[in-house]
Amino acid sequence: MKHRSAAAVVAVGLAILLAATGPSAGATLPVPQKIVLENGLTVFYVPDPELPLISLRLLIPGAGSAHEPGEFEGLAGLTAELTLKGTASLSAEAIAEELDFMGAGLRVFAAAEYAQVSAFSLAEHFPRLLEIAAASLSGAAFPDEEFARERSRAMDALAAAKDNPMQAVRLYFQKAYFGSHPLGRLASGTKSSLDRMTVRDARRFHGERYRPERAVAAVVGDIGRAELEALLGRTLGVWKKSEAPAALSDLPPLPEPRGKKLLLVDKPDATQAYFVLGAPGFGVADEVFPQASVMNTLFGGRFTSRLNTELRIKRGLTYGVRSSFESWRAGGVGTVSSYTRNEKIGEMLDITLEQLAAARTEGFSAEEVESGRNYILGQFPLSLESNANKAAAVARLAFYGQGFDFYDRYLDAVRAASPEAVGASASRLLPGGDFVLVVVGKAEEVRPLLRKFGEFEEKKISDPDF
Amino acid sequence: MLGKGTRTVLAVLLAAAALQAAFRKEDVRVHTLDNGLKVLLLEDRDIPNVALYTFFRVGSRNERPGTTGLSHFLEHMMFNGTARFGPGEFDRVMEFRGGANNAWTSEDMTVYTDWFPASALEAMLDLEADRMQGLAFDPEVFESERGVVASERRMAVENNNEGLLAESVQATAVMAHPYHWSVIGWMSDILSWSLDDISLYYRTFYAPNNAVLVLVGDFDAASAMDLIKKHYGSIPSSPPPPPVTTVEPEQLGPRLTVIRKEAQAPSFLMAYHAPACSGEDYPALAALEKALLDGESSRLYRRLVREEKLALAVGGGMQETIDPFLFTIAVKPRPGADLDRLEAVIEEELARLSAVGLTEREFKKALNIIRSDFYAGLQTIAGQATLLGLAELLYGSYEHAFTIMNRYDALSLDKIGEAAARTFAPEKKTVGKLIPQGGTR
Repeated sequence: MKHRSAAAVVAVGLAILLAATGPSAGATLPVPQKIVLENGLTVFYVPDPELPLISLRLLIPGAGSAHEPGEFEGLAGLTAELTLKGTASLSAEAIAEELDFMGAGLRVFAAAEYAQVSAFSLAEHFPRLLEIAAASLSGAAFPDEEFARERSRAMDALAAAKDNPMQAVRLYFQKAYFGSHPLGRLASGTKSSLDRMTVRDARRFHGERYRPERAVAAVVGDIGRAELEALLGRTLGVWKKSEAPAALSDLPPLPEPRGKKLLLVDKPDATQAYFVLGAPGFGVADEVFPQASVMNTLFGGRFTSRLNTELRIKRGLTYGVRSSFESWRAGGVGTVSSYTRNEKIGEMLDITLEQLAAARTEGFSAEEVESGRNYILGQFPLSLESNANKAAAVARLAFYGQGFDFYDRYLDAVRAASPEAVGASASRLLPGGDFVLVVVGKAEEVRPLLRKFGEFEEKKISDPDF
Repeated sequence: MLGKGTRTVLAVLLAAAALQAAFRKEDVRVHTLDNGLKVLLLEDRDIPNVALYTFFRVGSRNERPGTTGLSHFLEHMMFNGTARFGPGEFDRVMEFRGGANNAWTSEDMTVYTDWFPASALEAMLDLEADRMQGLAFDPEVFESERGVVASERRMAVENNNEGLLAESVQATAVMAHPYHWSVIGWMSDILSWSLDDISLYYRTFYAPNNAVLVLVGDFDAASAMDLIKKHYGSIPSSPPPPPVTTVEPEQLGPRLTVIRKEAQAPSFLMAYHAPACSGEDYPALAALEKALLDGESSRLYRRLVREEKLALAVGGGMQETIDPFLFTIAVKPRPGADLDRLEAVIEEELARLSAVGLTEREFKKALNIIRSDFYAGLQTIAGQATLLGLAELLYGSYEHAFTIMNRYDALSLDKIGEAAARTFAPEKKTVGKLIPQGGTR
């Protein structure tokens, strides 16, 4: 399968913009029904009987990687992974066997601000799926042997990640940009932090953090309300709430790079150089979101974007280039990323910086802005078609307290976005001289071409960690 | 060959499972224009959008040495201008009207996928019909696009160890049939094909009688059909393209391909010969594939990842193809893993499958997975368009999408074991290893 567009290389952070990107009238999110369980878990429910399928999304505040103890980078990720590796009565193998037998999916993973549970199944299997999910969330046993296996797999996976420059450049960027800020913690951990962890650390983190009273869930699909309530009552409803919930501290302010921070990672076998350039973005509640969506669409978010036009369409330098924003409560980051053959990386970065400067200072024409608005409005309904996407949107809005009319307001604001407002968001959000730039490539060929951008710190891909 | 998940592929197999009112054969309107263009229409008004998919019967199996990758390159050039619309106009017009698109090329077909608000229907049909007949090849744009495809290949193959190994295994396991080369093509072909090559290829394969149009979404079928006739009706048909006649000779002994390069971790890929999607053994192997490879309860995940701790992940399987292709077993070994041991464990498991077949529970599991995947695909207008188009191109009729579950009804545990024995004979394997070299470990 050979995707033509850059869509295949969407940066992680873009998920947020896509998930929230906007519709035409009449296709926004259905208003969910609210069910509050006795243990405090809030479940939002959207019935959809069209197909015999049900999706669940559950977010647990405080169980993400930004809340793990600093010396145990990766603990939240490993804990999430181990949540499905056995309970008092079900072995890891029994859980995997039951889930696979149903053709169902159940995943737990650690984002920065929460642990996320995603599940789907045929409607007929949903009761058993919820039983397994509830048993695991409330009573994961963390067998020693499972801990040892998963920890060692995580270490080996870190080494393997360095063979894929597209993946590696993201990890190096996260470290270079966030440094010791909690958002700099890799969900996968690092070799040294994984070395320090014991199964007791994971058990403790799970015991303290995997609690229902602050969690939010969304269920979308082919199930009636009465049946769902009964099912929730005997599954997620028996998950014990905390006696004394731990205080959740807000993240410290996000870093704001001053000047240029430049890093070159030498990967001697690379025939292409991969880069990520990033600067401060905006927080989840920031009102700039609709204008920034239009701006990002025009700058690097779709096929005819300025970046794709200059780097791919006009010059054939790359298969994919993308700009995107990722947002958390405390702030966000915006990135541009692409790749080209080693000898062209200087030209690619020159053009990228020129385009950033042009968008910052000159903004976008009325016709471009109209096109960007139409694009977001026209594509939005497709982003909420599946049960899983609806559940993800509902849970996210509930988690951040944005209200279920969020998309209606967002789309109205997109519809009203003026060239001036879109231009202002570019001046605010696209970097001039203050940014972090990471390049992964063959240093011998790439180093001389990078010199003109400033002094690069250098690492070798084979050095430990990122 | 890899990279194309078995998910979409198997989804088609399922279409007959307990059909929901939301997806019924009776609701599909079918029409073939005088010029041979077959049109499938399915109204679905859940969202105010339309999925317009154009399937051309051309892929890497229609290529020749020297012009490998040309089907995929043509897919790229289809966005670069016609006599009526200049380079880039297609995307500019489409995006201005709220539409987005992508396209993909496989061994057997090239597919153009558009998603747009209902209000853009006529504009999109106009654009699509135009590029089916009037593609222009601007030399400058042609060279620029060559660079894009070369970059795509560097990303997916040269700088991706799994991609590099997959290409080598494919070329070792398949000797004669055009499935020998990967869809992206060899780098030297990418760097040397000419304007004449591509324009001849376009004239040979892009014609209404070699295409299927699928529309799913918010429209009135009768009016949509009128618009299709208006925009496509005058496109002339072409002589049928030459058939692909090469038959892969039987493999008579095991094969090995080894790549040594700088890497942190090794890669491992094994391949056996699989039947065409319409072949008798296909459903048996599709069921078996789930038990062997799908999920953490699968036989190979348990053995290689959990018990022997040789691997980080296990994948692979079959792809629905017009001609016989490959059944692959893709393993991501841990750094330093004993690859001989890894291979021995896989062979043990395959021998056990060939001797004893699946358990009743594994068979049920396979059917549950297939049913679940099928319904997941129906949730979107894009998923429905894909199902209908693939059924039409791979099985000769969209109707196949609604009846193919019968193939599973006819299966038995015995038949699965027999199919395994035929497929996983030791002399029919190809083993590929990427072994890390150099200073990094």
